[in-house]
Amino acid sequence: MELLIITVVLGLISFFVPRNSIKLFGLAGSFVSAAIAIIHLINFETGSYVSIFETTEMPFGLTFQIGYDGLGLMMIALTNLIVPIIILSNYNNSATSENRVFHALVFFMQFGLLGVFTAADGILFYIFWEFTLIPVFLILYWFGKGTNKVLLKFFIYTLIGSLGMLLSFIALGLKANSFAYSDLLAVHLPAKEACWIISGFLLAFAIKIPLFPFHTWQPDTYTSAPMSGTMLLSALMLKMALFGMIKWMIPLVPEGVAEIKWLVIILSVIGIIYAAIICIKQQDIKRLFAYASISHLGLIAAGIMVFTKDALVGVSIQIVNHSLIAIGLFLVADILESRLKTRELSHMQGTATLAPKFGFWFAIIAFASVSVPFSAGFIGEFTLLKELTEFHFAVGLLSATTLVFGAVYTLRAYQLSMFGAPKNETFEDLRWNEILVFILLTNAIVGIGLFPQCIADLVGPSLDKLIIIFNETTTH
Amino acid sequence: MEAIIVLFLSGIIALFLGIYNQPKLTTIISVIGLIGAAIVQHYPLNILPAEYNLLEFNQVGNGFVVLAILLTLLIVLSGQKEFLEEKSHAGDYNALLLFSLCGGIILIGFTDLFMFFLGLEILSIPLYVLAGSRKGVSESSEAAVKYFFMGAFATCLLLFGVVLTYGATQSFELSEILSKTINSSGNAMLYVGMIFILASFLFKVGVAPFHFWVPDVYQGSPTVFMGYMSSVVKVVGIYAFIKFFHMAFGGLYDFWSTLIAILIGISMFIGNLTALVQTKFKRLMAYSSITNGAYALMAILYPSALSDSTLWVFMLGYGTSVVALLTISMIVNDDADEIASFKGIGYRKPLIGLVAIAALLSTSGIPPMTGFFGKLMLFSSVWSYYPWLIVFALINSAIGVYIYLRLIMTIMSKETATDTKEVIVSISQTIVLVLSLLLLVAGWLMLLCWK
Repeated sequence: MELLIITVVLGLISFFVPRNSIKLFGLAGSFVSAAIAIIHLINFETGSYVSIFETTEMPFGLTFQIGYDGLGLMMIALTNLIVPIIILSNYNNSATSENRVFHALVFFMQFGLLGVFTAADGILFYIFWEFTLIPVFLILYWFGKGTNKVLLKFFIYTLIGSLGMLLSFIALGLKANSFAYSDLLAVHLPAKEACWIISGFLLAFAIKIPLFPFHTWQPDTYTSAPMSGTMLLSALMLKMALFGMIKWMIPLVPEGVAEIKWLVIILSVIGIIYAAIICIKQQDIKRLFAYASISHLGLIAAGIMVFTKDALVGVSIQIVNHSLIAIGLFLVADILESRLKTRELSHMQGTATLAPKFGFWFAIIAFASVSVPFSAGFIGEFTLLKELTEFHFAVGLLSATTLVFGAVYTLRAYQLSMFGAPKNETFEDLRWNEILVFILLTNAIVGIGLFPQCIADLVGPSLDKLIIIFNETTTH
Repeated sequence: MEAIIVLFLSGIIALFLGIYNQPKLTTIISVIGLIGAAIVQHYPLNILPAEYNLLEFNQVGNGFVVLAILLTLLIVLSGQKEFLEEKSHAGDYNALLLFSLCGGIILIGFTDLFMFFLGLEILSIPLYVLAGSRKGVSESSEAAVKYFFMGAFATCLLLFGVVLTYGATQSFELSEILSKTINSSGNAMLYVGMIFILASFLFKVGVAPFHFWVPDVYQGSPTVFMGYMSSVVKVVGIYAFIKFFHMAFGGLYDFWSTLIAILIGISMFIGNLTALVQTKFKRLMAYSSITNGAYALMAILYPSALSDSTLWVFMLGYGTSVVALLTISMIVNDDADEIASFKGIGYRKPLIGLVAIAALLSTSGIPPMTGFFGKLMLFSSVWSYYPWLIVFALINSAIGVYIYLRLIMTIMSKETATDTKEVIVSISQTIVLVLSLLLLVAGWLMLLCWK
């Protein structure tokens, strides 16, 4: 229980901490929550289910059950380890890091995310899912540069998706007479109904990920958000949707998967290629990374729909890897933007000469982003591409272009911003906190790249269970 | 029954204290009366002989009475500042609100058409007076006249419907009407009577196609009494509507349910789409009350509405957020009533901001607010009977989020309105804000007390 409560407590305390020590408090508090997650990680026995809190004494069929299995624990650990990194990389942005409300909102956001990853009840899952929207919206609204139009688009878009999911939960819950995860799993549906219900889920997840035709909110929102907001969105909030697809959508409605499988895979492949092509022509560095995120996530979404063990292990590795890379890339974008006061690539020439340390660490993150061997991305993308090729050759081939395109746009961004004769006179090199963030990220990326088994072992047994459920229903 | 007596007596005392120019005392008396009535309702003393009891309250009915009293209490508290400005009338305002609430309680507990009619009139007549209580303002008089004529017209329709129903069934008792209607299919007089009663109910609760008086009357009335009309009157009116149709015309469910479902669908869209373009706050709230009234009325479409807590939770969320928002409006606006003058108020006064966010998120149906649980329960109850209506309702929820989110963004903006004046929150208003914040965030936990 302390896992969830600590974030709420930290959030509430943040309102009362003196203004000059809030920076330190935020950092220390987030490290405490990270430490708790690590303790849970150490105590976890592979393949078991840990129940945090459980009661059925609730009204209207809502059961209050929270707990985690291996997959949930991976997401919990990811959340609790990423939040300190976000706060650390934000340490010198005085507009946000010296604000009490900002820290409170980040902790509430963390609470919502942890709730999503631990909920074992459909309505509870939905409640936490929606709850995360409130703090992130306020962060974007108070600390971002976005116009009201952009923010409304973001909020309404994601909310419409969620309403689809709510409808599906209601329809499913009435069949099961309960919203508990185990009861929802037991429901068997005729194909036509399953198709409707899974579409509701898909709407929510496709908008959040975002998949190809639903992605239009994403670049605007990312560009106008403050750096920490973008990081929260791309490194953590999107992962809710991927997690939701693996744990909720496919196991709950396996009967409907056959109908939407090709749709999602085709949309994902279109997204991979379409976003990559936009990236190649993109001049705005933050927008470029936003589109790169769409491209990377398309591959993960396609991998989820294949739903085999290897594919899901690849997905899990990519989920972690994408979070790390997203933080690195958006930190790079923010460093360039805050010091040069522009996001245009053409104004950035020759930064590496002025700031060699920055040039070095940007190169490392860029290489991790194009998935060179020894980085986590290599293992993840390789597994996913292998599974997609086995699924269908053309899909595998088209998805594999992400490697080529990825290299092109990432290295182009690097070349345009770092090489050449310097256009600017001075460029402050990295500060200690930024170097620390890059070191942490690189360690994690290379660590997972060399030893991917740590993630595979953690999530393996719970993925096996989901696959058994899936295969049982589909072969009937 | 005892609750009505307590309310009535405290209303009388408040009136007399008004004569002796004791505005603060009247407030205290009416607050005590309201709290006392809620306690007596919840823990009945049973001092009256049973044959005097023409009212019946089951657990849900009791819940609704307590909810109506609670909302009135909040309204009385939030209006004190305005009451005290007109010292000579403070007693009248308090007393009339309490009298009107007596009618509301009768309207929840009625078992025959006599009591029903009595309750409806006792509820409405004080409101005609209160709507016109800003005598110097022409809009207020307009609102009062409109409300009175529309209300009188609706009452005519109702009486005509009652007469026809009596002609067809020879009874005023709800249970006897029900037993007659189950067997007598094809009696044209009964159907016509039912349609008349339906029309008058739609008038009273402001559902399309009889919604057009709502915005004018709400905008013209003083904000306090608009709060009473859009929360307590809606709560009571919709409960009575559902009770009447289930307990008297339950046998004709197939006939009226589709008709009402279609009207609900239309009202939701009318309310929301018109609210999109409003610049006046009270008008916006009026249109939003049309939409929310339509949501609440969906409860009529499933048979067990009178025996479970679904509608109660929805009404708790809706009523509280209306009261909270109108209290904020009273604090910010005097007469201009522009949405623009809310700009930045929440950023300067965190309590107001917090309450506004909670209230608006609750009306939009976003968890973890009470409004979400109300909507969730309501939608999942009706889903098995009218799935298409739920899809409509969800579309409308999305439109609603757009409306309320823009309001949140205005209220929480870092910039402030151009002509900023000092914002003063009185003690009683602070109490209202804190109480409604608690109800909005944690009110749904009260469900744990339901058996």
